[in-house]
Amino acid sequence: MATSIAKIACAVAFAAGVAAPVTAFSKSATVTEIEERGTLLCSGHNGSYFGFVEVNDKNEWKGLDIDMCRALTTAILGDPDKAQIVPLSWAQRFPALQSGDVDVIIKATGWTMGRDTEVGLQFSLPYFFGGTQFMAHGDLGITEAKELDGGTICVEAGTTIERLAGNYLKTIGVEHTMVSYEKASELRAAYLANRCDAFAAWGPFLAVLRATELEKPDAHIILSDQLSNEPIAAAMRQGDEEFVDMVNWMIAALLIAEEEGVTSANVEEMAANPPNPKIARLLGVDPGMGERLGIRDTWAREMIAATGNFGEIYDRNLGEGSPYKLDRGLNNLWSHGGVLYAPILD
Amino acid sequence: MDAAALKTRRKRRELILQTLLVVAVALIVWAAISTAQTKLDELNMTSGFGFLERATGWAYSFSLIDRSIDDSYSRTLLIGFMNTLFLGLICIVLSTILGFAIGTARDARQLGLNAVATVYIQLFRNLPLILQLVFWYAVLIHMPGPRQAYSLGDALFLSNRGMMLPALNVSPLVVLGIFACLVLLGFAIFRIKSLQFLHKLGLWLVASIGLTLTLASMFAPAESSMFSLPVQKGLRFQGGLTVSIELVAMILAITLYGSAYIAEVVRGGLHEVPSGLTEAGKALGLSSRSIWFHVKIPMALRTIMPPLGNQWIFIMKATTLGVAIGFSDLFYIVSTSITQSGQTLELMGLLMLFFLLINYSLAQIVNFINARLALKGH
Repeated sequence: MATSIAKIACAVAFAAGVAAPVTAFSKSATVTEIEERGTLLCSGHNGSYFGFVEVNDKNEWKGLDIDMCRALTTAILGDPDKAQIVPLSWAQRFPALQSGDVDVIIKATGWTMGRDTEVGLQFSLPYFFGGTQFMAHGDLGITEAKELDGGTICVEAGTTIERLAGNYLKTIGVEHTMVSYEKASELRAAYLANRCDAFAAWGPFLAVLRATELEKPDAHIILSDQLSNEPIAAAMRQGDEEFVDMVNWMIAALLIAEEEGVTSANVEEMAANPPNPKIARLLGVDPGMGERLGIRDTWAREMIAATGNFGEIYDRNLGEGSPYKLDRGLNNLWSHGGVLYAPILD
Repeated sequence: MDAAALKTRRKRRELILQTLLVVAVALIVWAAISTAQTKLDELNMTSGFGFLERATGWAYSFSLIDRSIDDSYSRTLLIGFMNTLFLGLICIVLSTILGFAIGTARDARQLGLNAVATVYIQLFRNLPLILQLVFWYAVLIHMPGPRQAYSLGDALFLSNRGMMLPALNVSPLVVLGIFACLVLLGFAIFRIKSLQFLHKLGLWLVASIGLTLTLASMFAPAESSMFSLPVQKGLRFQGGLTVSIELVAMILAITLYGSAYIAEVVRGGLHEVPSGLTEAGKALGLSSRSIWFHVKIPMALRTIMPPLGNQWIFIMKATTLGVAIGFSDLFYIVSTSITQSGQTLELMGLLMLFFLLINYSLAQIVNFINARLALKGH
């Protein structure tokens, strides 16, 4: 019934001379807008948030979140370079999305109830997990928070981390002194001057800081305790479910490609000779992948050719191929001990 | 119209104007409160002081009494209030003593002493306090860590975590009691007319030490030493008294800055003393110490006291800079409470009330001293 109504609607559209693609599925208004504009507006940062959104020495944007933006741009527009990165501070990102200055926020943004409801956002599948952790001076010879007994912990004042760390240390019975600073720069200086034994912050941020910003990375250790786990997802304006589908399947396709071993190197080969029906569907050899989202059937193939699968994106920006060399940890596929999974491609 | 009628008219006019002013002020205050109330209701924000009983869930660097993340907001605010008062009083006492010394040096005839005092004043008075604070803090936290702490006879340690001092092995309440006894003793000794000031001071110091030791040995728990010495254990020092490095930095910065201002006030006061009086003292064969104690200072105090009171109030307010270096003064506690609880207006109101209370009391004390100092019949 719905299909026939859609067909009639299409026929009417054609009769009116509107150049709408022949499709039985409704198309996202945001995607249409992006196609008309010819660029996708994605969130950047006011400076570098290393590993995720950073500016390199050639004044180009790079990082895990930037690559996710580029993947989405390739999926919609067929060219990663059509992504336009808009520099935004943390506080600016939600108003900028609401006012249409960006199409999507992909910038280490945690999925919270307040943002989902009061702020009026819609979140995609989580594509990254990171929690609060402690970093301590290596010469203390400790590996877990239990051994911090009697120590001094530095945190940023007025953050959720301040409460998380205090609560956690109390729960495991570690007596400590907490010193909190209003500014991140003072916090870092105090930690480096050994004012505190450990410093609590978002785990991936600590890891990247340790790997690049600190003079001797080996002199600092990230303790094994995970105090929390924040699901990081793309944030969109509420009210365009089709765009949420688009972003969700962009993330899903990157994960499925990794699961199936499709990489930027072998994607053309796989498309020419698909080893199984799932890959054939993913790469658009079997039709349906694009039609259902209102875009090209080969979008995932072009995307993987341009940016690689999720594993490649991770390795390039945070993992072995980056200066940070972070373990995949939780951010691996479920089949490799992580928590990332894709919905079923049928 | 006769003069009496004109006078009545003028009085009536003044009365009407004053009534209007009072009504206008009341209206403005009422409008502000009711606007805030409506806006808060529109935004579905809760107001009121119910949050004061909730546990805070966060910790901070310094407190005079036991603290925990389960403390209620009211207890945490009380701790902030005590910290501010504690820091402010220490800084007021230290910078007043230092300020009198430097101010006297500035008034001195010796060129060297005078030059040193002038450089001191110009240096510390002309740099912004926050800059000095951040500077001293940066210097202090770059001292060796707790494991490589400087030590003095294994009883006193200085590291970038703070100063670890030997303490009396008694409860805080007993310490407060001892402190009260010492103050009373001070008053008693200073009432003795026949002694010179320095002798009184010496007597008080000796008596204080004796009294403290006696009381401490009486109240110390059985089978343990009267003193608790800091001992390095794992990541920290146990026992003794730890003065956090943030507190040290605050005291250092505020005292240096405050004393430079007080020194100028003192110099001005000493300068006002007619030179005839000093010359008369010399002619009588008084020593320069006697002239300072018995001629210059009693005369100068009358000019010094009002601006000195202003400096004391200023020093109290300067404690709010603790937020820059992580010292948990009242302002720091309030600002963290605001971000964690969202009760901005209530907390700001409490902050203002507390400071009003502290500084108004201080002003009253200064007024009292002023009244005592005033020359009879003037």
